[in-house]
Amino acid sequence: MTLRKIRGAVRPVVLVTLLALLPPAAHAQETYPSRPITVVAPFPPGGVADLTARPVAAAMEKVLKNPVAVVNKTGAAGAVGMQFVATSKPDGYTLLLALSSISIIPEADKIFDRKPAFTVDQFAPIALISADPTILVVPADKPWKTAKDFIEDARKRPGQISYSSSGIYGTLHMAMELLSHAAGIKLRHIPTPGAGPAMTALLGGHVDALASGPAVVIPHIKSGKLRALAGWGDTRVAALPEVPTFKELGYPEAEFYIWAGLFAPRGTPEPVLAKLREATRAAVAEPEFKAAMDKLQTPIALKQGEEFQRFFDTDAKRLAEGVRKVGRVEDKK
Amino acid sequence: MLETLGNLGLGFSVALSPPILIYAFAGCVVGTLVGVLPGVGPLAGISLLLPATFGLDATRAIVMLAGIYYGAMYGGSTTSILMRIPGEAASVMTCIDGYAMARKGRGGAALAISAVGSYVAGTVSVLGLMFLAPPLAEFALRFGPPEYLALLLFGLLVLAYMSAGSMVKSLAMAAFGLLLGMVGIDQMSGYFRFAYGFVELGDGLGVVPVAVGLFGVAEILATAGQATPPAVIRPRLRELLPSRQEWRESAAPIGRGTVLGFAIGILPGSAHIISSFVSYVVEKRLSRHPERFGQGAVAGVAGPESANNSATSGAFVPMLALGVPSGPIPAVMLAAMMVHGVSPGPMLIQQQPELFWGFIASMYVGNVVLLILNLPLVGVFVNILRVPYPYLYPAILVFCILGVYGVNGSVVDVWIMLAMGLLGWVLRKLDFETAPIVLGLVLAPMIELSLRQSLAMSDGRYGIFVQRPISTVLLAMGLGLVLLNLYSFVRRGLDWRARLALAEKGEEAR
Repeated sequence: MTLRKIRGAVRPVVLVTLLALLPPAAHAQETYPSRPITVVAPFPPGGVADLTARPVAAAMEKVLKNPVAVVNKTGAAGAVGMQFVATSKPDGYTLLLALSSISIIPEADKIFDRKPAFTVDQFAPIALISADPTILVVPADKPWKTAKDFIEDARKRPGQISYSSSGIYGTLHMAMELLSHAAGIKLRHIPTPGAGPAMTALLGGHVDALASGPAVVIPHIKSGKLRALAGWGDTRVAALPEVPTFKELGYPEAEFYIWAGLFAPRGTPEPVLAKLREATRAAVAEPEFKAAMDKLQTPIALKQGEEFQRFFDTDAKRLAEGVRKVGRVEDKK
Repeated sequence: MLETLGNLGLGFSVALSPPILIYAFAGCVVGTLVGVLPGVGPLAGISLLLPATFGLDATRAIVMLAGIYYGAMYGGSTTSILMRIPGEAASVMTCIDGYAMARKGRGGAALAISAVGSYVAGTVSVLGLMFLAPPLAEFALRFGPPEYLALLLFGLLVLAYMSAGSMVKSLAMAAFGLLLGMVGIDQMSGYFRFAYGFVELGDGLGVVPVAVGLFGVAEILATAGQATPPAVIRPRLRELLPSRQEWRESAAPIGRGTVLGFAIGILPGSAHIISSFVSYVVEKRLSRHPERFGQGAVAGVAGPESANNSATSGAFVPMLALGVPSGPIPAVMLAAMMVHGVSPGPMLIQQQPELFWGFIASMYVGNVVLLILNLPLVGVFVNILRVPYPYLYPAILVFCILGVYGVNGSVVDVWIMLAMGLLGWVLRKLDFETAPIVLGLVLAPMIELSLRQSLAMSDGRYGIFVQRPISTVLLAMGLGLVLLNLYSFVRRGLDWRARLALAEKGEEAR
């Protein structure tokens, strides 16, 4: 840690010193960016947010010709980092790389009548980077060959088929809840502390099903341990052309994506936002960025401006609805 | 077997090629430095350095990260032994007897034994990893929530044996630790417990800030409170090496610690943390001189240090064989593979034999590098003790704060550490031991989650714990242990109380 930390600490100091030595710029107000930009990844290094944030930052650094650093501010399922950015100065120097959970956390706060750590309208969307639908997988030795088998069996035995998730109100939980409501079935939920443990529980045979991202499930499908039944996307996943979507199967409400997007705090001046949108568009077109996302097996799905806002709003509405339907766990039974 | 050896040959040809060797060495050096910093453990170390490896190719990155990982495990013992500051939860037990040895002028010996123990554990467990990975990984996956709970209940039994003095005091501390473990988001309902509006408390009290506070900061406060500062220890060169007697006493604990650590390490989840606690208690129970534990018993250093290192390699079993992260650190390593386009999973061994076997071989190489690196460093590190306390302790306090802050960049963690330091100081004055608090804090969230997951799986029926073979066997063993102790308690009740009284008197004399 030491070297990086020291470098990270020294770089701004050097920059500030250099800037102080320069003669005052005539249009200091208008030149953005004039100092390093921080992209906050609200999850630990190695997570989806972190792994997306780093190539994005590297490509933006190249486009903007200005340092862009990734900082992991973790805790409380991402709420710590998201709250940090929500309350940061809206000057375009503190950005957030958030996942779908950004729309879930405030809703969960509402369910428990607590003061929300932040609300979605505290953010100005810049760009959607990627959006992967979750895939329903079951162990290969289970009797269900198709999503239809699965749903019919679940109807016959309500609450008997179990699934693991990345935690209550987590992304993998919400995907299953949306399906349950769309298909009118009841499944048994076993929360685990993350997407990794959720997969471990499925492979160990402790649960019957799991919804997770394509990059996570594909290796296990290829090795023959798991079977994919259907996906939550609007269209089929390119890497799994034979797996239908729930939409095709007549459950259009079962639509869900694990997405990653770049945000600024609400109130960031429009010229700065425009510059950031432009920089992101150029950044995702960089060959290095494409190569990095290819290795993560995550297709780039750039959406900006109105288009991203619409996607974000629809998604937030769907998830808010989902969280409300789950309600408080202790209120049930 | 023959095939494995052939593959290993391939692995060594990769691992001993100069560029890979350089990265393995660099990883070990960085890891040792990270481990020596108080509060910064292996997880924080490799998380912070992960981005730095993105520019390397996959094999180099993995080899370097692995070097950082076990380098940090080696280095973690240094501050525990010399300054009573645990770098991470797994070295809490080393703080007790290791530090006691250092106070007696045997700090060098303790460091040397933990380096050799770590080397033996590291090397033997790589053998286990190599020959047993696929079958063991399948077995490890069968450890679901009910099995986990049964195993963790063993951890609770361990709590009862941890004290050197009063059982009541020790259990009170354990209960307090378990209560501290209740802070944070309830995993099953999403409810924030005891967070008082601090989002940062959502993940509960971190084990590292609590351990560094209770041990390191409390030690500094206690020393500052003494009328005359303790004499500075001046280690002499010939005292650096363990005596023949010390070697003899540590051989068996190293062996037992290795096997125990590996067995616990392969289980998915965070059970590897308890390996060093379990090893300590096992050694204490088997020792002919249990009264020496807490006063500088060599076995109390050798066992836990070996256990936490072999748990490190054990944790790679499910990761390499099945591509599932068996804990937070393997999860970071898996991410490193994904960044390089290596898709971790059951096919890894076939698809990327050079990476897999190169990694295995580099673990052998890394362990040798660490031994070579650490033994001479013993002499260097021990000299830290020569620094007079008025200079040494404020510096350590600064490093504790920096280390704990650096892990998450959270000021709340620093406050937790300072509050725990104060609490630890008060408890020391009242003759309470603080290790059970840490174990309680580690166990509580795991026990709670596995109990509630099990009940969610069985729709609330407790029968699930006796319907599954592994959990049934574990529970029966635990019950047997309790009955055995109950029996000896009833039979030799007087004797036991007399021993307790003696132990307490000993404590007062100290």
